[in-house]
Amino acid sequence: MEEIEVKSLTKDYGHGRGIYDVSFTVHKGEVFGFLGPNGAGKSTTMRHLMGFSKPQSGEAFIHGLSCWKDHARVMREVGYIPGEVALPEGLNGAGFLQMMQGLRKSPSSRITELLDLFEMDPSGSMKRMSIGEKRKLAIVAAFMGDPDTLLLDEPTSGLDPVMQEVFIDFVKGEKEKGKTVLLSSHIFSEVEALCDRIAIIKEGKIISTVNADDVKHFKRKTFDITFADEDSYRRFPAEGFEIRQAFPEERKVSVAVDDSQSDAFIKRIVNYTVKSFVENPQTLEDYFMHFYKSDRSFGDIAHGKRKRH
Amino acid sequence: MFSFPLFKQTVKANGLIWVVLTAVTAILLVQFAVLEMTQNLLFLIFYGVMAMLLPAVFILISSNKLFASQVDRGSMAYVLSTPIRRSKVALTQMAFSVLTIALMFVITTIAHIAVNANDPLSLELAGSGAGITGLTGDLTTEMIVKVNLSAMVVCLAMSGVCYMFSAIFNQSKYSLGFSGTFVGVSVLANMLAMFGSLGVEALENFKYVSICTLYDYQSILTGGDDWIIKGAVALAIAVVTYVVGSVWFCKKDLPL
Repeated sequence: MEEIEVKSLTKDYGHGRGIYDVSFTVHKGEVFGFLGPNGAGKSTTMRHLMGFSKPQSGEAFIHGLSCWKDHARVMREVGYIPGEVALPEGLNGAGFLQMMQGLRKSPSSRITELLDLFEMDPSGSMKRMSIGEKRKLAIVAAFMGDPDTLLLDEPTSGLDPVMQEVFIDFVKGEKEKGKTVLLSSHIFSEVEALCDRIAIIKEGKIISTVNADDVKHFKRKTFDITFADEDSYRRFPAEGFEIRQAFPEERKVSVAVDDSQSDAFIKRIVNYTVKSFVENPQTLEDYFMHFYKSDRSFGDIAHGKRKRH
Repeated sequence: MFSFPLFKQTVKANGLIWVVLTAVTAILLVQFAVLEMTQNLLFLIFYGVMAMLLPAVFILISSNKLFASQVDRGSMAYVLSTPIRRSKVALTQMAFSVLTIALMFVITTIAHIAVNANDPLSLELAGSGAGITGLTGDLTTEMIVKVNLSAMVVCLAMSGVCYMFSAIFNQSKYSLGFSGTFVGVSVLANMLAMFGSLGVEALENFKYVSICTLYDYQSILTGGDDWIIKGAVALAIAVVTYVVGSVWFCKKDLPL
């Protein structure tokens, strides 16, 4: 039995909005990243996993239980951080945590621990709380019951950089304890630090699922070489390496090199007079950025068609 | 099928307005019943208008917060991220709206009984202001209980309708719009119809567009039975709307 299982989930809200035939599984003890532009369907998928929405077709399961039909049972072992930070009316922070604790029937020792970790004082009025403080309360509420499975919808938005670090370390710790996490996020460093596998969703469809390790140890590297003289610049292409881009005026080339070619590449390049030699580190961001560029056009305006180099 | 932590939150979110409106209702009632100048208007103004208007304000404000505003703001996501069934949420909110209305009327009833026992109001005086003639004797405790019961079931029907709108709509503006129109029209038409009973006959027809017509203190004062049938209809409306609202909330898609 898989921890989280989404089977050809479809929900069409019309106007091209919704999710179409989305399927993926998250194994026990795994942190699964969910990436995609705004409006791509990340939250819609979360909504179905939380049992808020009824699937048009397909189904979502957590611990083998249907998220829609067995909502209350599923929630016993699920912690959730909503994308929205609006907290219930009429309560201060402490009152909110007390309510959540009552609804979850969880012990209070862990709440104190979590509040200390995130340096949060819950006694203030909600109206005077910043988004970050509300987010911290949501984090405490999600983890207070020590659930096995966590659904986190952009959990660190609104947190300051220090707290984002604290949160990432905390989730790492939870992962070591064997917790399963579905993390929707726009922050590449966060996804890079935490995720084992990453799914890309775009326009309601999952277009790619990759292992984070494969991306990090990407087997090709890109080098930017600027030659000191015109002669070197002219001769280099004959070496037969893949030149991705050339800039004649700067006498610069961008070369893609397979790891297996590294030795040959280094031995050849010493024969040239080189002014500058830069390895472009491959980050998750580079890898995924092109998924973010939208091909959709709204009216006459085409977005994301700008060229980058 | 009742969640105490959620109930507590609902009480905290609506408690103040309930206390204020209940206090205002009770104070107005005592004032009308005690002051000689206003005793003849006790039924016409207080029981005729205020006993509907003040609970209606509370119903309108609180029922929107039971579901629609929480779904609209997104805070319902926190409640539903715990092992709680939607039916339990619905029943807890229903318990809140029924109990607050009931308690409001229990308080005004007790206040009126206490004041009336001290100095019973003559029915002739009470009736004269409301356009009812030929009444004899004093206002009894039984009558006070019946009048309040009649008013309470109508308020429950109003509360049920607003509860239903709040459960159906995902946005406060629609929930408040429909509830506000319903409550506003009912209360206004009730006031206009009151002028009808005072002799402006053209206005009397307004009673047909108001749910408050099901509340009938006149029949209680004259010893009739009409209020029982009308009360039963109001109760039926309350039951149906509470059930429809709850079932709807359990089955609908939530945009959280």
